[in-house]
Amino acid sequence: MQRLSYLKPQTLEEALGYLNEYGEKVKPYAGGTDLMVQLREHTSKLKDVEYLMDVQYLPELRGIEVKDDCISIGCMTSHTEVNESPVLREHVPFLSIASSTVGSTQVRNKGTVGGNICNASPAADTLSPFVALNARLTVVSVDGTREVLVKEAMEKAGKLKFAPNEMATRITIDRLDGWHTAFIKLGRRKALAISRMNCAVALKLEDGVIADARIAPGCVFATPDRVEKAEELVKGQKPSAELFEKAGLAVSEEMIARTGIRWSTEYKKPVIEALIQRALCRAAGLPED
Amino acid sequence: MKKITLECFLNEEPVSLEIDENARLLDVIRDVAGLTGTKEGCGVGECGACTVIVDGETVDSCIVLAASMQGKHITTVEGLSKNGELDPIQQAVLDHHALQCGFCTPGFLMSAKALLDKKPDPTRDEIKMAIAGNLCRCTGYQQLVEAFEDAAKEYQKR
Repeated sequence: MQRLSYLKPQTLEEALGYLNEYGEKVKPYAGGTDLMVQLREHTSKLKDVEYLMDVQYLPELRGIEVKDDCISIGCMTSHTEVNESPVLREHVPFLSIASSTVGSTQVRNKGTVGGNICNASPAADTLSPFVALNARLTVVSVDGTREVLVKEAMEKAGKLKFAPNEMATRITIDRLDGWHTAFIKLGRRKALAISRMNCAVALKLEDGVIADARIAPGCVFATPDRVEKAEELVKGQKPSAELFEKAGLAVSEEMIARTGIRWSTEYKKPVIEALIQRALCRAAGLPED
Repeated sequence: MKKITLECFLNEEPVSLEIDENARLLDVIRDVAGLTGTKEGCGVGECGACTVIVDGETVDSCIVLAASMQGKHITTVEGLSKNGELDPIQQAVLDHHALQCGFCTPGFLMSAKALLDKKPDPTRDEIKMAIAGNLCRCTGYQQLVEAFEDAAKEYQKR
């Protein structure tokens, strides 16, 4: 492993000072489950890193707070904590489910939601529910605080649109009280595998009609996003397998429009269509096959 | 390489260890503390051979920065037996012949220990979930699951 110095800031101010002084030479260490592997493999994006900054002692990165119109989750919240949190299970069950599918128990105990986003892998398991929840990152530096939409936080795979002196502290998500949600993940095997593809959907049902919808496929775009065309298609309609099949088609069309036809398209197109249809059926309480 | 002092609890004993500041927890346990029961398999957090318990929760010690363990309670496989008596989980694995080469065994024992400490009456599915991050390439999982079911009965008596 490359030579690295260990920084242990006790306050956010101290952490931001390190970031301001060392810039890209310092890498925040949250759960370490991706970072330690990348360091071992000498990943090129870490070649300039000289300092690991342990952020476990910063209270600003901790805790889950339910507010009137949103929920704020500290970036250091582990996947296990997200999965076991009664308030998240109640308000945003598909986020809890997505967290429960990350890696293994050992990885979920250490891996954090902030790390899952900031590692900037398009295959991260929790990205699609976060994008469906309109998640915003609180990004701080010595220059001040700003909010960045999670779906706009990535420049490309593995790279965030952060200034070298910035770090994320919290994730704010919409409260979707009374909505019906679902998350489905397809991995190469059931345990331990990262998403090959996944999808997170949320439906607001009023008098048997879809009043509002969020449809976020995972791992199909270079950076995560919702598919508004598919959402518009189901709004105002009654839930049905036929309707959701069309929504699946709208998602696969969007995937091809954005990423082009690739070697994998022959596989991914029918599979993402089926995942979207199944997730929407699951959310609406319809049979899935 | 700069050394730092790691003060933590290893198998309930307070220890003070001089470690490289970028050392992995696994290497500190094996090479600095000399406890070689914890094994390195894949080195990337997939096989679970290096599983230890930190403050009641399992972690893959090959992907944990040792310097981040200041003040924490770390339990390795060496901490399972008490006063010369095997832990019921260890005894059950022996009774069920739930190992061949034994390389994965310490990791499985720690995953089972963390589960049964939290939940002494797990369902079969909960046992399978708890050991989903541990790979065994010789015996298979059937005997392990049955062993942990038996061990759970002992934990419920406590």
